[in-house]
Amino acid sequence: MELSESVQRGFQTLADPGSFDSNAFALLLRAAFQSLLDAQADEAVLDHPDLKHIDPVVLKCCHAAAATYILEAGKHRADKSTLSTYLEDCKFDRERIELFCTEYQNNKNSLESLLESIGKSLPHITDVSWRLEYQIKTNQLHKMYRPAYLVTLNVENTDSQSYPEISFSCNMEQLQDLVGKLKDASKSLERATQL
Amino acid sequence: MLLDLSEEHREHLAFLPQVDSAGKLNVSSDTVQHGVEGLTYLLTESSKLMISELDFQDSVFVLGFSEELNKLLLQLYLDNRKEIRTILNELAPDLPTYHSLEWRLDVQLASRSLRQQIKPTVTFKLHLNHNGEHNTKVLQTDPATLLHLVQQLEQALEEMKTNHCRRVVRNIK
Repeated sequence: MELSESVQRGFQTLADPGSFDSNAFALLLRAAFQSLLDAQADEAVLDHPDLKHIDPVVLKCCHAAAATYILEAGKHRADKSTLSTYLEDCKFDRERIELFCTEYQNNKNSLESLLESIGKSLPHITDVSWRLEYQIKTNQLHKMYRPAYLVTLNVENTDSQSYPEISFSCNMEQLQDLVGKLKDASKSLERATQL
Repeated sequence: MLLDLSEEHREHLAFLPQVDSAGKLNVSSDTVQHGVEGLTYLLTESSKLMISELDFQDSVFVLGFSEELNKLLLQLYLDNRKEIRTILNELAPDLPTYHSLEWRLDVQLASRSLRQQIKPTVTFKLHLNHNGEHNTKVLQTDPATLLHLVQQLEQALEEMKTNHCRRVVRNIK
């Protein structure tokens, strides 16, 4: 993991009991995780009364450093020893290292979910609806008397946050073909997971 | 059900018996055009309504053609009926129709924002036809949704076999 100087400086300040007492440290740590993971996080996450005595610029620097480090650690799937080593290098005492690792462990799953969801991918199918109809006539053709399906795929676009739909019609044979191919895909998937 | 042929239609078709056996036409191009249009109308309306042989014969009878010509027209109708109906079907208001599906299994191993992943995905290329144009859509899904899709669409297929649907099909003719 490559971390910038500003992260290191921020952490060195965080490690210093003169700048951040135990309570302030814990609050800042929690604030960092909250602003990353809580979708409804308040912009005033650093507005706690017990943090008021610290210079706002310093507060922001340290908050940014912590958040950056948390993201990098999450991205690289850092384990406890990696975290400890880095924090030791930044002169954190045992107690603070333990607190950091515990908070990190508690939030690890949410962090990894968040990171996994970032990035471009193809439009993703989320659901399907179908309608069965019996066609009787059109103005061009009478006496049709055949079943037809209307299938709609609900699709999600990760980047544009749009939800287009793809609709198409098919007759019974075509739907059987579609279902057959989907079943092939899922059987293949099952076999692959058993390897 | 008899075909309703208007005066105009009968006039157009009246030129048909005049075509001599060698196929040479000694008439104006307008007449030929009308003749062709008349014939087209006769065949498409008959196909659209899916009229029976008997009804077709009766409808054509009023035109006063020879026995031979009537037989020819009937044969023409029966031979081409299916294809004409297929073409007429394409004129209806239409949604894209399914053509085929290609699929592929992938496993995502890493991305810029997260390393060491094992994320299985299924990628599809859905081929659709719309108004004569061939469209493809590339889509993706996860294993759980794939199973859900299979289950839902299998239910859709099963519906046709239910008593309710069978009754409808039997009774609407």
